[in-house]
Amino acid sequence: MAFEYEKYLRMDKIPHLWCPGCGIGIVLKAMLRSVENVGWDKNDISFVSGIGCTSRAPGYIDCNTLHTTHGRALSFATGVKLAKPDKNLVVFSGDGDATAIGGNHFIHACRRNIDMTLVVVNNNVYGMTGGQHSPTTPIGYKTNTTIYGNIDPTFDICLLAKAAGASYVARATVNKGRVLEKYITKGFQNKGFSVIVATANCHTQFGRKNKMSDPISSRKWIESREIPLEKARTMKAAELKDKVITGEFTTDEAETTFWENYNSPVHEYTEAYAKIIEKVQEK
Amino acid sequence: MSDKINIPEHYERWDADVKVGKNDDKVAIGYWRDGCKGCGICVDLCPKKIWELIEAKDKWNGQVVRMTDASKCIKCMLCEIHCPDFCLKIY
Ligand SMILES: Cc1ncc(C[n+]2csc(CCOP(=O)(O)OP(=O)(O)O)c2C)c(N)n1
Ligand code: SF4
Ligand code: SF4
Ligand code: SF4
Ligand SMILES: [Mg+2]
Repeated sequence: MAFEYEKYLRMDKIPHLWCPGCGIGIVLKAMLRSVENVGWDKNDISFVSGIGCTSRAPGYIDCNTLHTTHGRALSFATGVKLAKPDKNLVVFSGDGDATAIGGNHFIHACRRNIDMTLVVVNNNVYGMTGGQHSPTTPIGYKTNTTIYGNIDPTFDICLLAKAAGASYVARATVNKGRVLEKYITKGFQNKGFSVIVATANCHTQFGRKNKMSDPISSRKWIESREIPLEKARTMKAAELKDKVITGEFTTDEAETTFWENYNSPVHEYTEAYAKIIEKVQEK
Repeated sequence: MSDKINIPEHYERWDADVKVGKNDDKVAIGYWRDGCKGCGICVDLCPKKIWELIEAKDKWNGQVVRMTDASKCIKCMLCEIHCPDFCLKIY
Protein backbone atom coordinates (compact mmCIF):
# COMPACT_ATOMS: atom_id res chain seq x y z
CA MET A 1 0.00 0.00 0.00
CA ALA A 2 1.19 3.48 -0.81
CA PHE A 3 2.95 5.36 1.95
CA GLU A 4 1.50 8.74 2.88
CA TYR A 5 4.61 10.90 2.88
CA GLU A 6 2.45 14.06 2.89
CA LYS A 7 1.85 13.54 6.58
CA TYR A 8 5.54 14.35 7.24
CA LEU A 9 6.22 16.84 4.45
CA ARG A 10 6.02 20.62 4.24
CA MET A 11 4.07 20.34 1.01
CA ASP A 12 4.44 24.04 0.23
CA LYS A 13 8.19 23.36 -0.18
CA ILE A 14 7.68 20.42 -2.61
CA PRO A 15 8.87 19.82 -5.36
CA HIS A 16 12.27 19.92 -3.67
CA LEU A 17 15.33 21.56 -5.26
CA TRP A 18 17.24 18.35 -5.96
CA CYS A 19 18.06 17.53 -9.58
CA PRO A 20 15.83 15.08 -11.49
CA GLY A 21 16.79 11.58 -10.31
CA CYS A 22 19.01 12.72 -7.42
CA GLY A 23 19.37 9.93 -4.84
CA ILE A 24 18.79 12.14 -1.81
CA GLY A 25 14.98 12.04 -2.23
CA ILE A 26 15.04 8.24 -2.09
CA VAL A 27 17.03 8.31 1.16
CA LEU A 28 14.68 10.89 2.67
CA LYS A 29 11.69 8.68 1.82
CA ALA A 30 13.36 5.66 3.46
CA MET A 31 13.94 7.80 6.55
CA LEU A 32 10.26 8.80 6.72
CA ARG A 33 9.08 5.21 6.41
CA SER A 34 11.50 4.35 9.23
CA VAL A 35 9.92 7.03 11.43
CA GLU A 36 6.56 5.36 10.83
CA ASN A 37 8.09 1.92 11.53
CA VAL A 38 9.25 2.94 15.00
CA GLY A 39 6.13 5.01 15.66
CA TRP A 40 7.77 8.30 16.63
CA ASP A 41 5.52 11.33 16.96
CA LYS A 42 6.88 14.02 14.65
CA ASN A 43 6.91 16.52 17.51
CA ASP A 44 9.45 14.30 19.27
CA ILE A 45 11.90 14.32 16.37
CA SER A 46 14.75 16.80 15.95
CA PHE A 47 16.06 16.62 12.41
CA VAL A 48 19.44 18.34 12.06
CA SER A 49 21.74 18.98 9.11
CA GLY A 50 24.81 20.98 8.06
CA ILE A 51 25.30 22.45 4.59
CA GLY A 52 25.15 20.78 1.18
CA CYS A 53 22.54 19.32 -1.13
CA THR A 54 21.93 16.50 1.36
CA SER A 55 21.67 18.99 4.16
CA ARG A 56 18.65 20.64 2.55
CA ALA A 57 16.57 17.64 3.66
CA PRO A 58 15.22 18.99 6.97
CA GLY A 59 13.72 21.99 5.14
CA TYR A 60 11.13 19.66 3.63
CA ILE A 61 10.11 17.86 6.79
CA ASP A 62 7.39 18.95 9.19
CA CYS A 63 9.10 18.32 12.54
CA ASN A 64 11.64 20.20 14.71
CA THR A 65 14.35 21.04 12.21
CA LEU A 66 17.75 22.71 12.34
CA HIS A 67 19.77 23.65 9.26
CA THR A 68 23.16 24.51 10.75
CA THR A 69 26.71 25.22 9.51
CA HIS A 70 28.87 23.09 7.23
CA GLY A 71 30.32 20.07 9.04
CA ARG A 72 28.84 20.99 12.41
CA ALA A 73 25.49 19.24 12.30
CA LEU A 74 26.60 16.62 14.81
CA SER A 75 27.80 19.28 17.24
CA PHE A 76 24.46 21.10 17.13
CA ALA A 77 22.68 17.76 17.38
CA THR A 78 24.80 16.84 20.40
CA GLY A 79 23.75 20.10 22.01
CA VAL A 80 20.08 19.45 21.28
CA LYS A 81 20.33 15.90 22.56
CA LEU A 82 22.04 16.97 25.78
CA ALA A 83 19.46 19.70 26.36
CA LYS A 84 16.48 17.55 25.35
CA PRO A 85 17.41 13.91 25.93
CA ASP A 86 13.86 12.72 25.28
CA LYS A 87 13.94 13.92 21.64
CA ASN A 88 14.82 11.53 18.84
CA LEU A 89 17.77 12.98 16.95
CA VAL A 90 18.21 12.37 13.24
CA VAL A 91 21.08 13.95 11.34
CA PHE A 92 21.54 14.09 7.54
CA SER A 93 25.02 14.83 6.16
CA GLY A 94 26.78 14.67 2.84
CA ASP A 95 30.13 12.88 2.50
CA GLY A 96 31.89 16.25 2.58
CA ASP A 97 29.87 17.53 5.50
CA ALA A 98 30.44 14.36 7.56
CA THR A 99 33.97 13.33 6.65
CA ALA A 100 35.83 16.41 5.32
CA ILE A 101 35.06 19.61 7.23
CA GLY A 102 33.06 17.62 9.80
CA GLY A 103 35.41 14.64 10.07
CA ASN A 104 36.52 15.42 13.57
CA HIS A 105 32.98 15.95 14.83
CA PHE A 106 32.09 12.68 13.15
CA ILE A 107 34.70 10.49 14.84
CA HIS A 108 34.06 12.08 18.19
CA ALA A 109 30.32 11.60 17.91
CA CYS A 110 31.07 7.93 17.17
CA ARG A 111 33.48 7.80 20.09
CA ARG A 112 30.90 9.25 22.40
CA ASN A 113 28.28 6.80 21.16
CA ILE A 114 25.65 9.47 21.75
CA ASP A 115 22.14 8.27 21.03
CA MET A 116 21.28 9.61 17.60
CA THR A 117 21.15 8.43 14.02
CA LEU A 118 23.39 9.89 11.35
CA VAL A 119 22.47 9.21 7.74
CA VAL A 120 25.39 10.02 5.43
CA VAL A 121 24.38 10.43 1.81
CA ASN A 122 27.63 9.49 0.10
CA ASN A 123 27.63 10.70 -3.49
CA ASN A 124 31.46 10.77 -3.67
CA VAL A 125 31.58 14.52 -4.30
CA TYR A 126 30.72 18.02 -3.09
CA GLY A 127 27.45 18.27 -4.98
CA MET A 128 26.24 21.68 -3.92
CA THR A 129 29.40 23.70 -4.57
CA GLY A 130 30.08 22.50 -8.10
CA GLY A 131 31.67 19.08 -7.89
CA GLN A 132 34.92 19.25 -5.92
CA HIS A 133 36.39 15.91 -4.79
CA SER A 134 35.58 14.67 -1.31
CA PRO A 135 37.21 12.15 1.05
CA THR A 136 35.12 9.45 -0.61
CA THR A 137 35.88 10.20 -4.27
CA PRO A 138 37.31 6.90 -5.56
CA ILE A 139 40.88 6.78 -6.88
CA GLY A 140 41.16 7.52 -10.58
CA TYR A 141 37.81 9.33 -10.90
CA LYS A 142 37.53 12.86 -12.16
CA THR A 143 36.00 15.82 -10.40
CA ASN A 144 36.37 19.56 -10.84
CA THR A 145 39.39 19.51 -8.50
CA THR A 146 40.89 16.20 -9.70
CA ILE A 147 40.79 16.81 -13.42
CA TYR A 148 43.54 14.28 -14.15
CA GLY A 149 42.01 11.63 -11.91
CA ASN A 150 41.90 11.51 -8.12
CA ILE A 151 44.93 10.19 -6.24
CA ASP A 152 43.65 10.69 -2.70
CA PRO A 153 42.79 7.38 -1.05
CA THR A 154 39.22 7.23 0.26
CA PHE A 155 37.75 6.93 3.69
CA ASP A 156 35.45 3.97 4.12
CA ILE A 157 32.85 5.73 6.24
CA CYS A 158 31.50 2.50 7.72
CA LEU A 159 34.92 1.25 8.82
CA LEU A 160 35.75 4.67 10.19
CA ALA A 161 32.52 4.79 12.17
CA LYS A 162 32.99 1.28 13.48
CA ALA A 163 36.59 1.87 14.49
CA ALA A 164 35.67 5.15 16.18
CA GLY A 165 33.02 3.44 18.26
CA ALA A 166 29.60 3.81 16.63
CA SER A 167 27.34 1.04 17.90
CA TYR A 168 25.28 0.47 14.75
CA VAL A 169 26.83 0.85 11.31
CA ALA A 170 25.32 -0.16 7.97
CA ARG A 171 25.43 0.71 4.31
CA ALA A 172 22.92 0.36 1.48
CA THR A 173 22.55 2.02 -1.90
CA VAL A 174 19.80 4.19 -3.36
CA ASN A 175 19.01 1.31 -5.70
CA LYS A 176 17.52 -0.55 -2.73
CA GLY A 177 15.15 1.76 -0.91
CA ARG A 178 13.65 -1.05 1.18
CA VAL A 179 17.08 -2.08 2.51
CA LEU A 180 17.88 1.53 3.37
CA GLU A 181 14.60 1.66 5.26
CA LYS A 182 15.45 -1.51 7.19
CA TYR A 183 18.86 -0.18 8.25
CA ILE A 184 17.62 3.29 9.19
CA THR A 185 14.86 1.67 11.24
CA LYS A 186 17.45 -0.43 13.09
CA GLY A 187 19.55 2.70 13.56
CA PHE A 188 16.57 4.42 15.17
CA GLN A 189 16.05 1.41 17.44
CA ASN A 190 19.69 1.29 18.52
CA LYS A 191 20.36 3.11 21.78
CA GLY A 192 23.64 4.73 20.84
CA PHE A 193 25.28 6.33 17.84
CA SER A 194 24.08 4.83 14.57
CA VAL A 195 25.60 5.52 11.20
CA ILE A 196 23.82 4.55 8.01
CA VAL A 197 25.68 5.28 4.81
CA ALA A 198 23.46 5.66 1.76
CA THR A 199 25.54 5.27 -1.38
CA ALA A 200 23.94 7.73 -3.78
CA ASN A 201 24.25 9.23 -7.23
CA CYS A 202 25.22 12.79 -8.01
CA HIS A 203 25.08 12.47 -11.77
CA THR A 204 25.02 16.26 -12.10
CA GLN A 205 28.43 16.90 -10.56
CA PHE A 206 30.21 13.55 -10.24
CA GLY A 207 28.57 11.62 -13.06
CA ARG A 208 29.06 14.44 -15.55
CA LYS A 209 32.84 14.19 -15.17
CA ASN A 210 32.89 10.40 -15.43
CA LYS A 211 30.74 9.62 -18.47
CA MET A 212 27.50 9.00 -16.57
CA SER A 213 25.74 12.32 -16.52
CA ASP A 214 22.21 10.93 -16.29
CA PRO A 215 20.65 9.41 -13.16
CA ILE A 216 20.15 5.95 -14.66
CA SER A 217 23.78 5.40 -15.71
CA SER A 218 25.03 6.75 -12.38
CA ARG A 219 22.68 4.38 -10.55
CA LYS A 220 23.92 1.48 -12.67
CA TRP A 221 27.52 2.42 -11.86
CA ILE A 222 26.64 2.17 -8.17
CA GLU A 223 24.93 -1.18 -8.79
CA SER A 224 27.99 -2.49 -10.63
CA ARG A 225 30.24 -1.70 -7.66
CA GLU A 226 28.02 -3.10 -4.90
CA ILE A 227 29.15 -6.27 -3.13
CA PRO A 228 27.10 -7.57 -0.20
CA LEU A 229 29.20 -8.10 2.92
CA GLU A 230 28.61 -11.86 3.01
CA LYS A 231 29.93 -12.24 -0.50
CA ALA A 232 32.81 -9.84 0.12
CA ARG A 233 34.04 -12.11 2.90
CA THR A 234 34.73 -14.81 0.34
CA MET A 235 36.59 -12.51 -2.05
CA LYS A 236 40.23 -11.50 -2.27
CA ALA A 237 41.34 -7.98 -1.39
CA ALA A 238 42.34 -7.27 -4.99
CA GLU A 239 38.85 -8.21 -6.22
CA LEU A 240 37.34 -5.72 -3.80
CA LYS A 241 39.20 -2.78 -5.24
CA ASP A 242 36.83 0.08 -6.13
CA LYS A 243 33.87 -1.88 -4.70
CA VAL A 244 31.20 -0.73 -2.28
CA ILE A 245 30.50 -3.25 0.46
CA THR A 246 26.92 -3.15 1.69
CA GLY A 247 25.32 -4.67 4.76
CA GLU A 248 25.46 -4.33 8.51
CA PHE A 249 28.95 -3.86 9.95
CA THR A 250 28.27 -4.13 13.64
CA THR A 251 25.99 -7.13 13.99
CA ASP A 252 28.83 -9.63 14.30
CA GLU A 253 32.52 -9.27 14.98
CA ALA A 254 34.17 -9.31 11.58
CA GLU A 255 37.55 -10.92 11.23
CA THR A 256 40.15 -8.23 11.84
CA THR A 257 42.50 -9.51 9.16
CA PHE A 258 39.76 -9.38 6.58
CA TRP A 259 39.18 -5.69 7.23
CA GLU A 260 42.87 -4.96 7.29
CA ASN A 261 43.21 -6.51 3.84
CA TYR A 262 40.26 -4.60 2.51
CA ASN A 263 41.35 -1.26 3.94
CA SER A 264 45.11 -1.43 3.43
CA PRO A 265 46.88 1.66 2.02
CA VAL A 266 46.54 1.95 -1.76
CA HIS A 267 49.78 3.74 -2.49
CA GLU A 268 52.34 6.06 -0.99
CA TYR A 269 51.13 9.65 -1.53
CA THR A 270 54.34 11.33 -2.79
CA GLU A 271 54.80 8.57 -5.37
CA ALA A 272 51.27 8.98 -6.60
CA TYR A 273 51.77 12.74 -6.80
CA ALA A 274 55.01 12.28 -8.79
CA LYS A 275 53.17 10.04 -11.24
CA ILE A 276 50.54 12.68 -11.80
CA ILE A 277 53.18 15.34 -12.50
CA GLU A 278 54.78 12.99 -14.99
CA LYS A 279 51.44 12.37 -16.65
CA VAL A 280 50.62 16.07 -16.95
CA GLN A 281 54.06 17.01 -18.30
CA GLU A 282 53.75 14.42 -21.06
CA LYS A 283 50.81 16.35 -22.53
CA MET B 1 -5.78 -5.40 -0.89
CA SER B 2 -6.41 -2.03 0.72
CA ASP B 3 -9.87 -0.60 1.26
CA LYS B 4 -8.62 2.98 1.69
CA ILE B 5 -7.28 4.48 -1.51
CA ASN B 6 -5.86 7.93 -0.94
CA ILE B 7 -5.02 9.42 -4.32
CA PRO B 8 -5.54 13.20 -4.38
CA GLU B 9 -7.80 14.78 -7.01
CA HIS B 10 -4.97 16.49 -8.84
CA TYR B 11 -3.18 13.19 -9.50
CA GLU B 12 -3.59 11.29 -12.76
CA ARG B 13 -5.04 7.91 -11.93
CA TRP B 14 -5.21 4.47 -13.53
CA ASP B 15 -7.31 1.60 -12.13
CA ALA B 16 -7.11 -2.02 -13.24
CA ASP B 17 -7.69 -5.65 -12.35
CA VAL B 18 -4.31 -7.29 -11.89
CA LYS B 19 -2.65 -10.52 -10.81
CA VAL B 20 -0.25 -10.49 -7.89
CA GLY B 21 1.45 -13.86 -8.01
CA LYS B 22 -1.43 -16.25 -8.63
CA ASN B 23 -4.00 -14.06 -6.90
CA ASP B 24 -6.55 -11.70 -8.42
CA ASP B 25 -6.16 -8.17 -7.14
CA LYS B 26 -6.94 -4.58 -8.04
CA VAL B 27 -4.54 -1.71 -8.46
CA ALA B 28 -5.00 2.05 -8.32
CA ILE B 29 -1.98 3.95 -9.59
CA GLY B 30 -1.64 7.65 -8.84
CA TYR B 31 0.80 10.01 -10.58
CA TRP B 32 1.48 13.65 -9.74
CA ARG B 33 2.60 15.22 -13.01
CA ASP B 34 3.38 18.65 -11.54
CA GLY B 35 5.92 17.12 -9.16
CA CYS B 36 7.46 14.75 -11.71
CA LYS B 37 10.88 15.74 -13.04
CA GLY B 38 10.99 13.07 -15.74
CA CYS B 39 14.09 11.40 -14.29
CA GLY B 40 13.13 8.01 -15.74
CA ILE B 41 13.89 5.95 -12.62
CA CYS B 42 10.38 4.44 -12.58
CA VAL B 43 10.73 3.59 -16.28
CA ASP B 44 14.05 1.87 -15.62
CA LEU B 45 12.98 -0.05 -12.51
CA CYS B 46 9.52 -1.32 -13.46
CA PRO B 47 9.86 -5.08 -14.16
CA LYS B 48 6.82 -4.92 -16.46
CA LYS B 49 8.09 -1.86 -18.36
CA ILE B 50 4.71 -0.15 -18.20
CA TRP B 51 5.97 3.37 -17.42
CA GLU B 52 6.93 5.32 -20.50
CA LEU B 53 8.78 8.62 -20.93
CA ILE B 54 6.94 11.16 -23.05
CA GLU B 55 7.82 14.63 -24.26
CA ALA B 56 6.62 17.55 -22.13
CA LYS B 57 7.48 20.99 -23.47
CA ASP B 58 6.39 22.69 -20.25
CA LYS B 59 8.95 20.80 -18.18
CA TRP B 60 12.49 21.85 -17.34
CA ASN B 61 14.09 18.74 -18.82
CA GLY B 62 11.40 18.19 -21.42
CA GLN B 63 9.87 14.93 -20.29
CA VAL B 64 7.38 13.29 -17.96
CA VAL B 65 6.03 9.74 -17.74
CA ARG B 66 2.77 7.98 -18.42
CA MET B 67 1.31 4.61 -17.54
CA THR B 68 0.83 2.45 -20.62
CA ASP B 69 -0.96 -0.60 -19.19
CA ALA B 70 -1.94 -0.66 -15.51
CA SER B 71 -3.36 -4.20 -15.88
CA LYS B 72 0.19 -5.56 -16.12
CA CYS B 73 1.23 -4.05 -12.77
CA ILE B 74 2.35 -6.63 -10.20
CA LYS B 75 2.33 -4.13 -7.31
CA CYS B 76 6.01 -4.67 -6.58
CA MET B 77 6.21 -1.03 -5.41
CA LEU B 78 9.67 -0.53 -6.93
CA CYS B 79 8.57 2.62 -8.77
CA GLU B 80 6.88 4.09 -5.74
CA ILE B 81 9.77 3.41 -3.34
CA HIS B 82 12.37 4.87 -5.73
CA CYS B 83 10.64 7.94 -7.15
CA PRO B 84 12.82 10.69 -5.63
CA ASP B 85 10.03 13.24 -6.00
CA PHE B 86 7.04 11.84 -4.10
CA CYS B 87 5.01 11.53 -7.33
CA LEU B 88 3.76 7.94 -7.33
CA LYS B 89 1.17 6.10 -5.30
CA ILE B 90 0.34 2.43 -5.74
CA TYR B 91 -2.74 1.08 -3.95
C1 LIG C 1 32.56 26.70 6.53
C2 LIG C 1 32.17 26.42 5.13
N1 LIG C 1 33.08 25.99 4.25
C3 LIG C 1 32.73 25.71 2.99
C4 LIG C 1 31.43 25.87 2.58
C5 LIG C 1 31.06 25.59 1.14
N2 LIG C 1 30.35 24.34 1.01
C6 LIG C 1 29.01 24.28 0.99
S1 LIG C 1 28.40 22.74 0.77
C7 LIG C 1 29.98 22.10 0.63
C8 LIG C 1 30.24 20.65 0.36
C9 LIG C 1 29.03 19.82 0.17
O1 LIG C 1 29.37 18.50 -0.08
P1 LIG C 1 28.67 17.31 0.69
O2 LIG C 1 28.74 17.53 2.15
O3 LIG C 1 29.21 16.02 0.17
O4 LIG C 1 27.12 17.48 0.31
P2 LIG C 1 26.36 17.24 -1.07
O5 LIG C 1 26.12 18.59 -1.65
O6 LIG C 1 27.24 16.39 -1.96
O7 LIG C 1 25.12 16.54 -0.66
C10 LIG C 1 30.94 23.12 0.78
C11 LIG C 1 32.40 22.89 0.70
C12 LIG C 1 30.48 26.33 3.52
N3 LIG C 1 29.20 26.47 3.21
N4 LIG C 1 30.88 26.59 4.78
S1 SF4 D 1 23.98 18.49 -7.55
FE1 SF4 D 1 24.12 16.27 -7.20
S2 SF4 D 1 23.65 15.98 -5.01
FE2 SF4 D 1 22.97 18.05 -5.60
S3 SF4 D 1 20.80 17.81 -6.13
FE3 SF4 D 1 21.97 17.63 -8.04
S4 SF4 D 1 22.34 15.39 -8.27
FE4 SF4 D 1 21.73 15.76 -6.14
S1 SF4 E 1 4.36 -1.33 -8.83
FE1 SF4 E 1 5.96 -2.50 -9.92
S2 SF4 E 1 4.91 -3.37 -11.70
FE2 SF4 E 1 3.55 -1.76 -10.89
S3 SF4 E 1 4.08 0.05 -12.08
FE3 SF4 E 1 5.35 0.12 -10.23
S4 SF4 E 1 7.26 -0.88 -10.79
FE4 SF4 E 1 5.76 -1.42 -12.39
S1 SF4 F 1 10.58 8.33 -10.80
FE1 SF4 F 1 9.13 9.96 -10.20
S2 SF4 F 1 10.07 11.90 -10.87
FE2 SF4 F 1 11.14 10.22 -11.92
S3 SF4 F 1 10.05 10.02 -13.89
FE3 SF4 F 1 9.11 8.55 -12.49
S4 SF4 F 1 7.39 9.66 -11.56
FE4 SF4 F 1 8.70 11.21 -12.52
MG1 LIG G 1 28.47 14.79 -1.33
